[in-house]
Amino acid sequence: MKGPDNNTQWWLGVAELLAQGMHHGAVKLKRVHLSIADESFRVLDAIPATRPGSRLVRVCHHGIARVSYDSVSLAGRVIAEGAASAGARLAMRRQDMTET
Amino acid sequence: MVSVPSAGRVQQHISAIASGFLGDWLEHRGNPLAVPMTVFADGEALDLQNPQPAAPGSVLCLSIHGLMELESVWDFPAKPDEHYGSHLANTLGDTSALKLRFNTGRPIYRNGQDLAALLERLVSNWPVPVKRIVLIGHSMGGLVIRSACHYGAANDHRWASLNPDCVYIGSPHDGSWLAVGAHKAAGWLNRVPRDYLKVVGEVIDLRSEGIRNLSRGDAFEPGTSDQPLLHGARHYVISGLLARGERHPVNVLFGDALVHQSSARGDRREGWELAGIASFPGVDHIRLAHHPLVSQQLQEWLE
Repeated sequence: MKGPDNNTQWWLGVAELLAQGMHHGAVKLKRVHLSIADESFRVLDAIPATRPGSRLVRVCHHGIARVSYDSVSLAGRVIAEGAASAGARLAMRRQDMTET
Repeated sequence: MVSVPSAGRVQQHISAIASGFLGDWLEHRGNPLAVPMTVFADGEALDLQNPQPAAPGSVLCLSIHGLMELESVWDFPAKPDEHYGSHLANTLGDTSALKLRFNTGRPIYRNGQDLAALLERLVSNWPVPVKRIVLIGHSMGGLVIRSACHYGAANDHRWASLNPDCVYIGSPHDGSWLAVGAHKAAGWLNRVPRDYLKVVGEVIDLRSEGIRNLSRGDAFEPGTSDQPLLHGARHYVISGLLARGERHPVNVLFGDALVHQSSARGDRREGWELAGIASFPGVDHIRLAHHPLVSQQLQEWLE
């Protein structure tokens, strides 16, 4: 790891990796959260007294959870793509400087 | 005095670990964390077009590390300039001790193909005629050597005709129990009809091709049948064991911690003729890469 540009590129690589982790992690966490919640909602749905209320709560819960996780996932994706393109631009600039 | 690793060294270790886990993806994305294949002599990277080591010898001794490791795994504790290659160079004379660094997350056969091409360039451009090659591989590094030997011979490379000495240290020729466990766990979790368990299986499945190859010791391109050891070369196997008693239950279960003795010896491979086999009870997987007894054994075999 030599030179300031090389170091910047390395950190951009770390940023891309972490942001991709955030993007994919949020998608996977959403699935874990919703599927575990569904286990409880299935029980509530089986009881006639709680069925109508639980269905409404389920729709609200899943809707809010999806919006939250998808926002985090989108933010991760944007940061990852930004870091990747910044890294690529830096690499091209270094290549141009080496050639000239 | 406590030695503190430099920021550069820490970055290199992070890159090596990230490359081990996700090296094929990092390479595909052009991410700078993907470790490029590089040869080092005395800690300096060599330019393969014009290698200028301090004292080029006619014997090349190349040490190849394992999964998620760096070339520093070969260094003896508290003696950073001493490793198997430097010990052999002292014994053999006229020897250049080299170390390889590579992206361990790539498929093993691709690293093998690149290593074969790298050795050909190195031998062609070496400042003095190369008379002998010694390849020492730790863990995955041993599988990369087997792969490189196959592709070197298939492409009529000059280095492969020099009948290299190949040493496999703790290499999972028949797979590593941990990689097999990860493969089975992911398969089982992916079949369970519960999304939260499937996600765990999918996370395990994110592991690199290099790690996947370790579940069966795959060293060749998919669809290729198992290839024999390079004819004419001398092949040596070294294995470790966690406990000192060879038949200790811990050794039966875990071998050297990651690789069973039978896998390190390639017991399931047919037609292997080994020039030497050695076992070191009480020496675990990582310590196999820098242990005085192993060094002594290498000098006995290779001098």
